[in-house]
Amino acid sequence: MSILNKRLDVGEVMLDLSRFPIVTKTTILKEALEKMDTFRLGVACITGNDGQLLGIITDGDVRRKLLHIQKPLTAFFIDDVINQAINNPITISSNMSLIDAVGLMEERRVWDLPVVDNDKLIGLLHLHPAVKALLEG
Amino acid sequence: MNNKIITIGYGKVKKVKVGHQLPLVFFGGPCAIESKDHAFFMADAVGEICEKLNVPWVYKSCYDKDCRSAPDSFHGTGLESGLQILADVRDEFGVPVVSGFSVASRAKATGEVCDMVQVPAYLCRQTSILRAAAETDRPVHLKKGQFMSPWNMKNSVRKLEAHGCEQIILADRGTFLGYGALVNDMTSFPIMQKTGYPVCFDATHSIQLPTSMGNISGGQREFIPYLVRAAIGCGINALFMEVHDNPKAALSDANTVLDLQYMENVLHQAKIMHETRLELLDKFGEDNVHPE
Repeated sequence: MSILNKRLDVGEVMLDLSRFPIVTKTTILKEALEKMDTFRLGVACITGNDGQLLGIITDGDVRRKLLHIQKPLTAFFIDDVINQAINNPITISSNMSLIDAVGLMEERRVWDLPVVDNDKLIGLLHLHPAVKALLEG
Repeated sequence: MNNKIITIGYGKVKKVKVGHQLPLVFFGGPCAIESKDHAFFMADAVGEICEKLNVPWVYKSCYDKDCRSAPDSFHGTGLESGLQILADVRDEFGVPVVSGFSVASRAKATGEVCDMVQVPAYLCRQTSILRAAAETDRPVHLKKGQFMSPWNMKNSVRKLEAHGCEQIILADRGTFLGYGALVNDMTSFPIMQKTGYPVCFDATHSIQLPTSMGNISGGQREFIPYLVRAAIGCGINALFMEVHDNPKAALSDANTVLDLQYMENVLHQAKIMHETRLELLDKFGEDNVHPE
């Protein structure tokens, strides 16, 4: 018998917009990283004026960039975050089942998935609370 | 990248547009305003060359030179008389004018007369100066400090933007190499263009040898044409040169101003090279070599 709560949807577990870093496309990378640090999350979402998701940046993206960028670190920090971001991230909707979303995380080897409904960012599914919710079911 | 077009000129003067894929614009005149007669003579002479070459231009001359090396060097005509002369130049020749300012409290008056205000390189990161420049509501010609990296100019741009200014032209006037020399890092142009704003090359200050003459700066004017050609090749949108009919007698920057007799030759080459560059851009597209 499974111990997992299979009835939960993403919308019941996702972090709301106040609980994860959201920046604009002209936020510089340094400020985005500081915001990620403040929230203790390895991802920041970049949104447009209407709340649409323009991209995300993650610890892994920064790590990969650091391994191959040739310009000075100061020039990297001052870049608009959008220039260093993933512009077409994987997203999920709030009515996706939580277990399917966690399965998608496993398949794509990511810890966070932006939640987008009606073309607007409405939350972030983070792996830890997702697993906790599944086990507590 | 959103390439911005900057329009210089209010009222009855000729409007000058600076930006991506537009004709090269010239900013020029004597470093300092020396007298009304001299300003008129220079505006007439420079204007004649620009008209002959069909180069849009902005008359540049400052009423105050606050970065002179010696305490007794010519400091300028002063705010009121200097701005009056610039206003008279605008009226007489229909050309937009630009002047620098070095004290935040003088920005408003400068912007009330000038079509563009200039922030000196030494002051390019001073918040009060940048805020005052932004609050004039005029385009801002912001020179990269000799101590600043081109990417760090974005911090100064953000300060201007934070105070509502989105009409900015970024200029390179050389970067310190040790104590007595400047070099031009030509990558500064594409790097500063990444801000979305047009860029300008200040050729005559780039050949300056800072304070090399003990209490005044020297300069190697023979290199002006070389650097101009290099900068044009790197895609500048505007060219800045201080010119004087009698450099030896110039009251400011006598060792760096270009003698008026050479201006047409240098500017003509710059115009042809710029047009060729635009043709190359049209034929081959934007450089996209090893993008990040």
